[in-house]
Amino acid sequence: MMLSRVAERVYWLARYLERVENTARLINVHTNLLMDLPADVEVGWFTLVTIFDGELFFHASYDEINENNVMHFLLADENNAISLINSLSALRENARTSLDILPEETWEQVNELYLLVKSELSAISNRRRRQKLLLSMSERCQTVWGILANHMSRNHGYYFMQTAKHLERADMTSRILELASLLLAENRSQSMRAVEGILWSHLLRALSAQQMFTHSRNNDVNAEAVLAFLLRDSAFPRSLFFSLGAINRYLSPLPGAQKVIDHHRQSIEFMFENPQENLPAEEIHNRMDALQIRLAGLNTAIGQQWFYPVHSS
Amino acid sequence: MMHMWRDYNPGEFHDELMAGPYQPRHFSYRLLDYLQSMRREAFEQRVADSELEMLERGITFTVYSDAGNIDRAWPFDIIPRMIAKREWDCTEKGLIQRVRALNQFINDIYNEGQIIKDGLIPADVVYQSKGYRPQCRGMQPAFGVWAHICGSDLVRDHNGTLYVLEDNLRVPSGVAYMLENRKTTKRILPELFKLLSISPVNDYPTHLASMLASLRPELSQPTMALLTPGIYNSAYYEHASLAQQAGLILLEGADLLVGQDGYVYMKTIHGLERVDVIYRRIDDDFIDPLVFREDSVLGIPGIMQSWRDGKIAIANAPGCGVADDKVIYAYVPEMIRYYLNEEPLLPNVPTWLCRDPDQLAHVLDNLPDLVVKPANESGGYGMLVGPHSSEAKIEEFRKLLQEDPDNYIAQPTLKLSVSPTIAGDHVAPRHVDLRPFILSGRDHYVTPGGLTRVALVEGSLVVNSSQGGGSKDTWVVDENGSGVSL
Repeated sequence: MMLSRVAERVYWLARYLERVENTARLINVHTNLLMDLPADVEVGWFTLVTIFDGELFFHASYDEINENNVMHFLLADENNAISLINSLSALRENARTSLDILPEETWEQVNELYLLVKSELSAISNRRRRQKLLLSMSERCQTVWGILANHMSRNHGYYFMQTAKHLERADMTSRILELASLLLAENRSQSMRAVEGILWSHLLRALSAQQMFTHSRNNDVNAEAVLAFLLRDSAFPRSLFFSLGAINRYLSPLPGAQKVIDHHRQSIEFMFENPQENLPAEEIHNRMDALQIRLAGLNTAIGQQWFYPVHSS
Repeated sequence: MMHMWRDYNPGEFHDELMAGPYQPRHFSYRLLDYLQSMRREAFEQRVADSELEMLERGITFTVYSDAGNIDRAWPFDIIPRMIAKREWDCTEKGLIQRVRALNQFINDIYNEGQIIKDGLIPADVVYQSKGYRPQCRGMQPAFGVWAHICGSDLVRDHNGTLYVLEDNLRVPSGVAYMLENRKTTKRILPELFKLLSISPVNDYPTHLASMLASLRPELSQPTMALLTPGIYNSAYYEHASLAQQAGLILLEGADLLVGQDGYVYMKTIHGLERVDVIYRRIDDDFIDPLVFREDSVLGIPGIMQSWRDGKIAIANAPGCGVADDKVIYAYVPEMIRYYLNEEPLLPNVPTWLCRDPDQLAHVLDNLPDLVVKPANESGGYGMLVGPHSSEAKIEEFRKLLQEDPDNYIAQPTLKLSVSPTIAGDHVAPRHVDLRPFILSGRDHYVTPGGLTRVALVEGSLVVNSSQGGGSKDTWVVDENGSGVSL
């Protein structure tokens, strides 16, 4: 038995948990990257804002693009719906209201994570402390996933959470792959071409993929290999192919899932048709955009099927 | 930390742990010996650990204030309050006796009203009580039990007598904090559980679940839920944690509806599923907008009819708040004699009924020395504590009493007992009360001890957490036992 309301809360709990972890890692890796890059490349602090589609919101509140403003916007700005602190508050609220069906350590860990970030948030302009905070955030998120993996029954709540996790992950992967279109752009600058190797491995690290990539591809970091790995690798749990397949798997045991699954299948088939080795930059950009829209559609379909169904009494 | 106790002196008050300034009680010397032999840093470390633990585990309650609603860590004092098992055994009997009489009373007044016909309680006291619900007339819940969960407040005066201060029969709260306090003490002071034989409290959720299941004797595995007003309620943490530990489904009103067949259903990912027992943590005023408050968005339209038709069991039963009335409280000893033909084992605090002109005159003459309470408030609101009040406040109450005497009772200001409590860098006597929880269904169960609340401010008598009170773990100790073997 699972209440629709509870299903919705654990679903969003998992989405926010994945989002917090991904965001923390991305910002951490990106900071490391910028330390290695010359100032005149197309990649900078504002790249992070574009990954989250936050350009409009950012310009509405900040006059200048610089490290402090971007970090404040992404991490601490309570007016920014996608800021990390807002995701974290939503995560905590969903954990607090799902206490009764989650392993009890889940709430303690989430609460500790929240308290940690709250107390350190004022220090984020200090790069060293910020990096340290972002690392421990990722670790705490992984602890929560570990608790869920090892202490939670494989019940409907678990399937909703896994569905949500992979949906969120696919969304984030597609956003980071949009960056790849920058790297492949015909008109990219000379200094950009000079640091391409660094940028591709940055892309891998932002998705925690470097090590697994190296194992399977013999360390040959080039555009085709990285793209193929992040798009289509069937064994790596953060590739798009893997996440989208996982959504399918975790949806299937849910009651009345067939309609949602069929919809999902149709909407993602385009992703893997004509697997070309050399997708042009523009094509990658378009496919990732289309994927994000379809994932949002899937999110709506899940809500209609399980969270807000029409009951006739 | 010996010197933290150097100036400890309970003065004129009864002290729960001390027989005199330097003299522990026979059941508490092991605890005090242990605490006093600790190094100061070690002791302070444990205090800090307990605070961090409460904060990190998110054991909070919400304070509603002008500055917005704040989640505060549950205030907890690590020095436990102790009660000898011998005393507790008698107290437990007295509590069960009292709850049995109260339940018979509620069942009586919603049915024959024999106690009124027999002239023991005036009809208007019952029928004009704010907690009386005419919609409940004629109901006969399983076992004649209406108040399934009762959280009586016990206080001890200067000569050591334990009184029942009030019977909380509506939606008594605090039991989850009792459980948390024990968990924390076990983590912070584990060694003491080896030295002493302390009655365990952690099986309360199991007893709660089996009590609730007993309310539907015709079903082998009833579906049971806890109905909460939601996440913004100050006791939400308790609701969620009890649901988790007792295996109840945590529900909000919007999760439920009454079907055309009159049964109560919850909205699940499979569609609608039936619910058989509801432990409600919302006031009965809000439970059914068709019957009580129309503006309630917390309730479930039609649920009262389901309850009347026996299609859902509700704990506590709607209408049981009538016995929570402070005027009716004064008649409880009579009820015990009337229904059970027994002498009360636990005394009431002496109470003057202001509805009686002679008693009112006495109250008005002695207002600065008395505590005046309205018939139907809880949480310490709307009352006068004479010795701690300004002259203006006393005059305000004089007026209230003259205008509406029926709605008030008065009691002597008790010299509430104290218990050693950390106050900054030393240990000081602070006033305490005790809230045990009594479960009634097919059987009765009483928590050993209960939730000890402590007024953290020097001299204060206000123990409510909403008004600056704290809490302590409560140990019922068997002096003949030597602690569990570890």
